[in-house]
Amino acid sequence: MKELLTSIRRTPYQSFAVFSSLILTLFLSILLIFCLNFLYGLLGYVESRPQVAIYFQNQVSESDILHVKEQLLSSGKVESVKYISKNDAYNLYKQLNKDNPLLLEMVSPDILPASLEIFAKKPTYLPEIAGFLNSVVGKDEVNFQKNIVDKLLSLTLAVRIISISFFSFLMVSTIIILMTIAHFKVALKRDEIELMRLMGASPGYIRKPFLNESIFLGFVSSTVVYLVFIGIVLLINPALQSYLSGIPALFVDLYGFKLTVWPISIPYAAGLYLVIAFFGVGIAALSTFLATRKYLSIERT
Amino acid sequence: MIQFDTVSKLYPLGNAALSDVTFNIEDNEFVFLVGTSGAGKTTILNLILGDLYPTSGSVIVDDQDISSKKYTKLEELRKHIGVVFQDFKVLQDKDVFENVALGLRIQDLSKNKIREEVKEVLSLVGLEDKKQHFPVQLSAGELQRVAIARALCGDRRIILADEPTGNLDPKTTWDIMKIFKKIEHERTIIIATHNTDIVNSMKKRVLVLKQGKLLKDMQKGGYEL
Repeated sequence: MKELLTSIRRTPYQSFAVFSSLILTLFLSILLIFCLNFLYGLLGYVESRPQVAIYFQNQVSESDILHVKEQLLSSGKVESVKYISKNDAYNLYKQLNKDNPLLLEMVSPDILPASLEIFAKKPTYLPEIAGFLNSVVGKDEVNFQKNIVDKLLSLTLAVRIISISFFSFLMVSTIIILMTIAHFKVALKRDEIELMRLMGASPGYIRKPFLNESIFLGFVSSTVVYLVFIGIVLLINPALQSYLSGIPALFVDLYGFKLTVWPISIPYAAGLYLVIAFFGVGIAALSTFLATRKYLSIERT
Repeated sequence: MIQFDTVSKLYPLGNAALSDVTFNIEDNEFVFLVGTSGAGKTTILNLILGDLYPTSGSVIVDDQDISSKKYTKLEELRKHIGVVFQDFKVLQDKDVFENVALGLRIQDLSKNKIREEVKEVLSLVGLEDKKQHFPVQLSAGELQRVAIARALCGDRRIILADEPTGNLDPKTTWDIMKIFKKIEHERTIIIATHNTDIVNSMKKRVLVLKQGKLLKDMQKGGYEL
């Protein structure tokens, strides 16, 4: 550790350049990871919502509605149908607006329509189901969410492609910058390296202090980035919570494990740190490894 | 033991640095390599160190035929060879202690062992009171002593010195040679030099080289070209 700190102290500008490049890259990376996970969570949430909903006029009886439900279930194209009576709708409304007595006073069960929420077996069945529902006598409105899902899916895909491209570019350029800086550092120690090789040091032994230093800088940078990111999130959390108040907890499926990405859960926060620390240490170590390889691949002539 | 058996070395442009050179150097022997510039002295040292491949013939060091071994396969051997250069090659950003300890750190010795051994070897070369000095604070003679101390540290049984006194005045030259004399029965010492006085005075074995050929091999010889 003492040698490592001495080396950083003796080459402060190079160390600072490594540190600042890593900070920038890792901060953008953590931001991208966070946004992508949020979007995936949102997509999962929207997909889990009823894909088609039919609202009935007031005069339609419950038995007629249940008949429509039976018809849908017998079509073989529907995964499930949920009947929401006027009372159920009123209870839901009360729960959603429990903090607003004025809104509660204005509404009674009579004015809320009964509805069916339908989940199709495949998204391709949705237009057909919607077509059938539109022909039902006594329908008030049919809500068909396919467009929202499709738009969100294409948005997520676009963000994913842009993120991966941007992330790859960021990684490659950072590795090149770090390699160039590592080259400077190695060049400064060329005499020492030459001497150590003559005295029997292995390439691994010579590379070790350079690698240790880069791993240390990678670890420190990722920790700083993580703390700053979490600090920013905590700072704007009240504003974010209020802005995203309509969106409940969002999850992403991680090999069968449901990870809560919004609001940020402790496992997610820990995972973010591990990922960003792995990236920080990984790219710093890889750049140094590549930079030192040139100086250590000596052959007899 | 070091054995050269009909060793030749051709450099890529075709110039012959060594031609059919054969000699043996026993353990703990003191040998001078003499000859004009380009005679092949440094090539011999580099062949012993495994820095160069011989074009033909075999080089055996410590019972190992190193003629065709890769550079990376010679690390263990190099841990037993100390090298002293004309230009000292003392690291400017390290103090005397750190410079001397370099070879010991490579051998993965404990900090206490390194401290003890550096102290011992600095006392041998007369620099025990300058262990925290940086190279800029030392004279040329002191720098060469640091280089010798570094070459002696650890279990380095063979000391190769390439013109170790080439940059030094006569008095300092003799101080340096006294250090070599102190250790002459403990290690194999091979010194490439142009210095007539020291070769003639010390009466050690002399290998005379001329244009890559071994002209003479004299026990207790003098400087002859």
